[in-house]
Amino acid sequence: MVLDDLGSSLRGTLDNLRGQSRLEEDDIQEVVKQIQRSLLEADVEVDLVMELSDSIKDRALNEEPPGGTTAREHVLKIVYEELVELVGDSTELPLESQTILLAGLQGSGKTTTAAKMAWWFAKKGLRPAVIQTDTFRPGAYDQAKQMAENAEVDFYGDPDADDPVQIARDGLEATEQAEVHIVDTAGRHALEEELIAEIEEIDSVVDPDTRLLVLDAAIGQGAKEQAQRFEEAIGVEGVAITKLDGTAKGGGALTAVNETDSSIAFLGTGETVQDIERFEPSSFISRLLGMGDLKQLSERVERAMEETGAEDDDWDPESILEGSFTLKDMQKQMETMNKMGPLDQVMDMIPGMGGGMMDELPDDAMDVTQERMREFNVVMESMTDQELEEPRSISASQVERIARGSGTDTERVNELLEQHKMMDRTLNQFQGMGDGDMQRMMKKMQDGEGGLGGLGGGGGPGGMM
Amino acid sequence: MFDGLKDKLNSFREDVEETAEEAADEADESADDADESTVSADAVDDEGAGSESVDTTDSDDAESDTADPVDSVDAAAAAAEADSDDAEDSETDSEASSSGPGTLKRAAAFATGKVIIEEDDLEDPLWELEMALLESDVEMSVAEEILDTVEETMIGETRKQVETTGELVERALHDALLDVISVGQFDFDERIAAADKPITIVFTGVNGVGKTTSIAKLSEYLADRGYSSVMANGDTYRAGANEQLQQHADNLDRKIITHEQGGDPAAVIYDAVEYAEANDVDVVLGDTAGRLHTSDDLMSQLEKIDRVVDPDMTLFVDEAVAGQDAVMRAQEFNDAAAIDGTILTKADVDASGGAAISISYVTGKPILFLGTGQEYDHIEPFDPEELVDQLLGNAE
Repeated sequence: MVLDDLGSSLRGTLDNLRGQSRLEEDDIQEVVKQIQRSLLEADVEVDLVMELSDSIKDRALNEEPPGGTTAREHVLKIVYEELVELVGDSTELPLESQTILLAGLQGSGKTTTAAKMAWWFAKKGLRPAVIQTDTFRPGAYDQAKQMAENAEVDFYGDPDADDPVQIARDGLEATEQAEVHIVDTAGRHALEEELIAEIEEIDSVVDPDTRLLVLDAAIGQGAKEQAQRFEEAIGVEGVAITKLDGTAKGGGALTAVNETDSSIAFLGTGETVQDIERFEPSSFISRLLGMGDLKQLSERVERAMEETGAEDDDWDPESILEGSFTLKDMQKQMETMNKMGPLDQVMDMIPGMGGGMMDELPDDAMDVTQERMREFNVVMESMTDQELEEPRSISASQVERIARGSGTDTERVNELLEQHKMMDRTLNQFQGMGDGDMQRMMKKMQDGEGGLGGLGGGGGPGGMM
Repeated sequence: MFDGLKDKLNSFREDVEETAEEAADEADESADDADESTVSADAVDDEGAGSESVDTTDSDDAESDTADPVDSVDAAAAAAEADSDDAEDSETDSEASSSGPGTLKRAAAFATGKVIIEEDDLEDPLWELEMALLESDVEMSVAEEILDTVEETMIGETRKQVETTGELVERALHDALLDVISVGQFDFDERIAAADKPITIVFTGVNGVGKTTSIAKLSEYLADRGYSSVMANGDTYRAGANEQLQQHADNLDRKIITHEQGGDPAAVIYDAVEYAEANDVDVVLGDTAGRLHTSDDLMSQLEKIDRVVDPDMTLFVDEAVAGQDAVMRAQEFNDAAAIDGTILTKADVDASGGAAISISYVTGKPILFLGTGQEYDHIEPFDPEELVDQLLGNAE
């Protein structure tokens, strides 16, 4: 995720300030150094890094901390404010008829982003169309067409035409009945004068409401020059960062936002059309500073529950709350968890779990948990329906059979049964709880009273209900 | 490409040179006048108080330490200079040091007309160099490694007065860069000529770096040198991948082997190898789907391709615009399917090209080609010596 290392290293440095009431210049120097380092490692442009860190240093030294705040809180607040100032709001995209033009370097992910955005608008109840104007790259038409099919949205393109401007004009006409027009363009870079002139022309024909610069999260210092040039040519109102599911930190986006005086619109986090998130500055900063992100979490949970439920009519999550928690339910839960995305991403959104606590877990803790869930699933596949419905009645000989059948050992099967029992007990405690209690539970978990302690060892899905 | 880094390296060289010249002047001055040193050193102290190590713009500040009598040599010169300083030029700090070479060594050096370069002389220039490398997208740990090498070579180095510091710096920088960038360089053309045919080359890399385009370019490059090639589309995942490679093959009149989308990538490349054997084709160019190194499934698929196809050469493709992440992905790809070399694409986009330095450093494998545009002949063999010479070209 964007700048997540800034989060952990910053928290580490800030923790050194714990208990201090006054800030020494040396402390600030150390904090500023860490911030510089993290930002540079995240590919934020060097001049911007210096500007930001100078300003943080200046304020930390000169502003009097409000009465009662510790040094740590004071610095944290300044860092927070400076980041908010830089990141700004999310690019405004009203849910109404509009035209969006995408521009960017070759291979930055424009075509994929076009389809993802179309999917996103469709989910919001609008009718989108993707217009593909890339006549240069072989296969661009086919790729865009298929991605649009995956997103189940209207599509226009013309594999035989060779004038992008004409395609854009025709495309707008052909997809007139659509409400949101997303115009994809061929990749180009700042130094290709002819292509820059071409996109200027497309821009004037399309007359978009919003122009988005699509940037690969891995882009380095070059982001500045590219952003400047596109800004000059067509004007940039927002940035979409792609490939954030890799290890790149996406600092180039901050550079671009700063250069173009715009904001971040979307985040691309995977290869399928659903892997898109609207950029939420508050979520972003909260996650960055380890404060969790409940909103994103509940959205993900809801979406995953819906998807899991939709696949299987027999399954009724309500029955769990009525007190009958079977292995089948547990299997469903694990499926739901999987649909929510990588466990570490999910954990990061839970207040108190993200940030600091994640840093303390061994790197492979999440892998281990995920691996375990996979193993449990294998074991369950070797059980009969009867066994899944009534795990308590499973005898020792059945355990052996299941172990053999699933190619695991009895120990694993018993672990699964243990886990189920534990979750069953936990659930009984939460029975009859309304929606409002969810937050209380979260709070409980945050305070460290909840059942998440066993997570590394496999407490997993239980705590998520 | 690399113009940005070149400028910055030149300014680094000038900085160090100035610092060193100052040091030399100091030595002269202090020999003449010892009295002045104590007086004016105080003045300098006041002025130097405000300067910080992160502060790079203010290079006019002179900081000095009068506590150690030995250092009054430096202090005197710095002071003398501060006095006469009209602030029109950008001298860097000539900070006195307590951890430098011992009194005796310094005295000896002075007596024989030599100047010793000390850690503090280099502090600011090195910081500037680090920023220059970072601005050029050299990955941080790699940049630090280069700095260490330069520092190690320079510190304690006695230079004769007949030798300019510029020459010293240039040598240190030249060696450090060349060390990193020219790793296991081999002659691609010779390797192709010598190998048993067909020779199988598999291309790997993350999404959107230009693997497919590079294959088309390399196919043309090989044709120019008299080798036939067959393309295999191992990207059975991405929408439009077959069409993309197919069109390149049509344009260049090459044979292409494809399977349905969703098929087994290893099988496609394997088929192409069989085709090449049966039809006396020299080179098999195997494309793979772009994948992020964080995807365990796709990375183990890549391992499988590597195992099943057992290519003669694996080329990692990455883009010159990549920033700090270049190191991470090069490492992961190298772990999954050991690479023999790298093609750096989009070299026409980015003036800095630090990715070349990061990738060679972390993989220990050479950059073989640069992709420099959208035409089929926009591919150039990469020559590290030439690059380093070019970077440090306008010396003296």
